[in-house]
Amino acid sequence: MGVFLKGFARFKVPGGKLVEVKLDYSDSIKNVQILGDFFLYPEDALKDIERSLLNLKVDESEESIARIVSDVVKKKSITLIGITPNAIAKTIKMAVGK
Amino acid sequence: MKWRIMKLEVHDAYLNMGTDQAIMESVEAGKSAPTIRFYKWMPSAVSIGRFQSMQEEVDIEKCKELGVSYIRRVTGGGAVYHSNSGEITYSVIAPVSIISKDIRESYRIICGWVIDGLSKLGINASFAPINDIVVDGKKISGNAQTRSKGIILQHGTILYDLDIKTMFTVLRVSEEKISDKLIKSVEDRVTCARNYADISLEGLYEKLLEGFTVGKEFGFNSCTEDEMKRADTLAKSVYSSDSWNFDR
Repeated sequence: MGVFLKGFARFKVPGGKLVEVKLDYSDSIKNVQILGDFFLYPEDALKDIERSLLNLKVDESEESIARIVSDVVKKKSITLIGITPNAIAKTIKMAVGK
Repeated sequence: MKWRIMKLEVHDAYLNMGTDQAIMESVEAGKSAPTIRFYKWMPSAVSIGRFQSMQEEVDIEKCKELGVSYIRRVTGGGAVYHSNSGEITYSVIAPVSIISKDIRESYRIICGWVIDGLSKLGINASFAPINDIVVDGKKISGNAQTRSKGIILQHGTILYDLDIKTMFTVLRVSEEKISDKLIKSVEDRVTCARNYADISLEGLYEKLLEGFTVGKEFGFNSCTEDEMKRADTLAKSVYSSDSWNFDR
């Protein structure tokens, strides 16, 4: 077991809702939780988005993270309201201090 | 399409949320008519959105001290303080097909019923997407929706009175922020029916009932025995459990 850094960031989506990201990471993401007052249907699918981010290199670009989230959104037919794949990616980069 | 209307009831947080889910399951199974229910919370409670963290949003110790319950909703959205004497909550549980497939549009439609009710009190409210209703730019109602197996559950709260001090005691805001300055700024952003109409909470309910039922075929009824049993089970096994409420 390595020692992981803890990251947290909060981002208010312009015209949307608040997104928060809590994560444990080293050079890659070990645990991640996406929190906030947004809407996401079906609700259980947030866990699919979180899973898709595990083991992702923290140097991954914001665009590439957004693309990964977008792919899950499409694949699982998720509807996002008040939050976007870009906002999630941006908040993750903020949480790892990049 | 005949609606079932459930008159204003008072329950604790767990049974209120359990009842919403029990009705949703029953409507989905074709055993119950589309339903509109009105309720209050006793004791007062804080509900948080599906994706929020209980520890982050709610001061649990303060809640225990004041006898305020805390619960996670199945719906997204933000944390709400449901004062027993300061608000009315409604739920609409109906097939998507009779409201709208489009989520944003369905918010607009159901919020329109709240707006109609408020207009009967001379309160000129309007829909503020994504999920708010405002009067003079100040929020008077917050609403949240989930969907499952073709059924919509939308619940929302309509503020009758404001108790900002308690609201910010149970919601996690640092001590220094509960200053007169913050309270002033919240009062600039939030309002309630009492600020616009000289009515009782019961009077507000009567007008909301009119707003929700105008143009609809409906009958008054309560939960079926099966729904009550299921609601009770859900209240005990899910909504009052730490595994649900502290999931995030």
